[in-house]
Amino acid sequence: MKILVADDSRVMRQIVIRTLRQAGFGDHDIIEAPDGVAAHSAIGDERPDLVLSDWNMPGMTGIELLRTVRGSGNDVPFGFVTSECSDEMRQTAEAGGALFLISKPFTVDAFRDQLTNLLG
Amino acid sequence: MTDEVLPTSDDLDNIAEQVWSAFLADGHEAVVDGAEPVDLDADLAASVAIVGAFDGHVVVTSSRDGSREVASALFEMSADELSADEVGDALGELANVLGGNVKSMLPAPSTMSLPRIASAAHGHWPGTVELCRTVVAWRGNQFILILLSSRQQDRLERVVA
Repeated sequence: MKILVADDSRVMRQIVIRTLRQAGFGDHDIIEAPDGVAAHSAIGDERPDLVLSDWNMPGMTGIELLRTVRGSGNDVPFGFVTSECSDEMRQTAEAGGALFLISKPFTVDAFRDQLTNLLG
Repeated sequence: MTDEVLPTSDDLDNIAEQVWSAFLADGHEAVVDGAEPVDLDADLAASVAIVGAFDGHVVVTSSRDGSREVASALFEMSADELSADEVGDALGELANVLGGNVKSMLPAPSTMSLPRIASAAHGHWPGTVELCRTVVAWRGNQFILILLSSRQQDRLERVVA
C-alpha cells in the first residue's frame, strides 16, 4: 500500500516515517508532501491508500486539504497527526471525514492502534 | 477576575517530560525541573503564538549547541552534518509540539501559529508577562520552556502581585 505523509516540517515527516517503520509498517511505499497544496497534488497523482496529515500547515491546512479531497469525491482513508488535540478539533476532523487523530508526542503503539486495521 | 485555571510550571514539567521521552529518548536522561535556577547562554528562540480566548506565546530557548543536539536526535544525524535550516526546523517543531500541548490546557477556542525561529537576542515579546516556565537539562544543554501571556488581565494581575 502507498502512504502519503504531509507535514511542513521535514523533521516531523522523518519522525512519522520512522514511527511507521518501528510500528511494523516499513514495507509500505511511503511518499511525502511538504504542505497541503503539494499533498493535494500527490493525492491526485499518486493515488495513496492512506493519508497521514499535519493539521497546521502553510498555504492549505490539513482540514482544508481533507475538505477539498472529500469535496472532489475522493474517499481515501485520511488521519491527522497533530500537536493540537482538542475535543473541538476531533469533532471537526470527524465531521470532515477523518478516521482518526493522533496527537504529538505520539508513541509507536498509537500508530499500531490506529493503523493495524487499515494496513494489516 | 476569572475562575479559569491556567497552566503552571508543574504542567510544563509534565508536558516537557512527555515530549522528551517520546521524541528525544536516546539514552540521555532529560531532567525537568521548573524550580532549577538557570544561567543559560541562549542563542535561539523558537515560539508559537496563541490567539483567541487566550493570547500569548509558548517559547523554547536554548544555546546553539543545544538546538543542534535536538536536531541531531530528531534527524538521527551527527550534529556536525546538520544545516542551519535543519536545526531551525527541529527546534521549531519542538516548540510546535510543546505549544500544542500547552494550548490544550488554555482557555478555548484559540488558534496556534506556525513556529517562528529567531536569534534569542531578537526574541522579544513586548507587552507580555511570564505565567510559568520550566527548565530541561538534556545532553549537557539546557532548554527553557516559557508560557507568556499578552492578556491585559494577566499583566495587571502580575503588576499587582
